[in-house]
Amino acid sequence: MKKLWWKDKFNIFMAAIAYLTLLFIIAAIGTVIMKGFPHIGKSLATPEIQFAVKLSLYTSLISTVLCIVIAIPVAFVLARVDIPFKSLFNTLLDLPLALPPVVSGVCLLLFFGTTAFGAWLEEIGLPFVFTIKGIIIAQIFVNLPFMIRVMKSTILSVSPRLEFIARTLGCTPTQAFWKITLPLSRNGIIAGTVITWARALGEFGAALMLAGATRFRTETLPISLFLNMSTGDLEEAMAAANLLIIISIISLYIFNKLGGDFIGGTRGV
Amino acid sequence: MIKLADVSITLGDFSLKNVHLEIRKGEFFTILGPTGTGKTVILELIAGLYRPDAGKVLINGADSENIPPEKREIGFVYQDYALFPHLNVYKNIAFGPRLRKMPPSAIKENVQGLADMLEITHLLARFPGTLSGGEQQRVSLARALIMKPKILLMDEPLSALDPNTKRMLCGELKRVHEKYRCTVVHVTHDFNEAAMLADRIGVILKGKVKQVGVPREVFERPRDQEVKNFLGVEPLKAVYAR
Ligand SMILES: Nc1ncnc2c1ncn2[C@@H]1O[C@H](COP(=O)(O)OP(=O)(O)OP(=O)(O)O)[C@@H](O)[C@H]1O
Ligand SMILES: [Mg+2]
Repeated sequence: MKKLWWKDKFNIFMAAIAYLTLLFIIAAIGTVIMKGFPHIGKSLATPEIQFAVKLSLYTSLISTVLCIVIAIPVAFVLARVDIPFKSLFNTLLDLPLALPPVVSGVCLLLFFGTTAFGAWLEEIGLPFVFTIKGIIIAQIFVNLPFMIRVMKSTILSVSPRLEFIARTLGCTPTQAFWKITLPLSRNGIIAGTVITWARALGEFGAALMLAGATRFRTETLPISLFLNMSTGDLEEAMAAANLLIIISIISLYIFNKLGGDFIGGTRGV
Repeated sequence: MIKLADVSITLGDFSLKNVHLEIRKGEFFTILGPTGTGKTVILELIAGLYRPDAGKVLINGADSENIPPEKREIGFVYQDYALFPHLNVYKNIAFGPRLRKMPPSAIKENVQGLADMLEITHLLARFPGTLSGGEQQRVSLARALIMKPKILLMDEPLSALDPNTKRMLCGELKRVHEKYRCTVVHVTHDFNEAAMLADRIGVILKGKVKQVGVPREVFERPRDQEVKNFLGVEPLKAVYAR
């Protein structure tokens, strides 16, 4: 693009809109950073924020690992195996991605809170309603479809021919998967993990419905932000917000670095 | 040795109809046909990527239906070479022997021997993405040969190469065949290549085997007008040069 764009009125007009958009984003995020950053050290020292950070890290790590472990086989099936009703499968798997997280939360709450299956889970020591396990399940429910999408397009980008060549060289289908498909999906796995982890850290709506918002109990960073805003403790709220912003910026950076943009279907998420 | 008995298969819009081919043990068999006639599909049927809809693929007289690709003792050199991009040349070649848990010293010796023969020793530490077409072709060949396959399938192994490299590798393929004595099924749409290499040629047009015979016979006496049109009128120098 060697053309001098500012010599064209139409281009100036379009560029003005682009710059205004950028300005709006920077201004909005910048305000929170300006207000919160100076106090972030002090707030980090408060037991409440420390609790929230720890709980957020704990829940998001577990939910991310579980998302990977579940997403890879599901994505493999969608990418490589001819199963009946595959297109229906695809649509339904994407559903939690389209639902507002609060609605997902209500679904989970009713499922675990009012069904015999939920009661049975509680009996065997897996209570999900108003518990930390509930936060994890909420994060998984909301993020899993996303991870599946990333993994599916990643696996689709691996040539089946390479897997087949591995077979002719002596691999069983399982070995071909571990030695060829998975290593060649590395970037997708890392990109998907980073973005899933960031989304898990920020997960609010579904977790709020299923696990509630109780101080020092189910208080993750976003919940902490919500609680402190509603009680007017601005400093703690800003600290939580800033931490979430930093995490998001870093993960966005890593995701783009690993070609997340190139992985189909994740554009603009 | 390899027999396709009335094999039919449909893949999307394409279908192979009642393909009948017999390839003898130890021969260099060339499948000759224009683009999109199902040559690659035939190789993939032999290798076990697909199961025929009808008919049988027999290997050494045994129905291969329930033999998975990894048990067929087949080497496959693909059209685009299909090297593993995440492994360097050495690891690409050593991939098969490593799976078989061959001792590392023996693997090293084998890789070295093949690398010397194919003149790729200086490439062993490189990654496939950095190799030229001819170099990739040799690596792909080495990766297949190291398994000492009973059957070597080569899908247009020379099509991506310039005429000089092509001639050189043509000679090399011949020598490899003489040395390893494996059955070779070679696919090409290049008449010269077929004429130079093949013990026998099978002409495939539009998913059907039209004619099978030694090069001279096929080029001198095309069975019908269709084969004649495909082969053209000019008798091939390469046939007479042999
Ligand atoms: N898995 C598949 N699904 C659907 N169609 C396929 C599949 N594999 C091959 N085909 C189609 O079958 C036809 C024959 O393919 P094939 O690759 O065997 O041709 P070819 O003779 O090897 O051609 P070329 O010389 O260009 O390599 C093509 O039209 C191809 O698109
Ligand atoms: Mg082909």
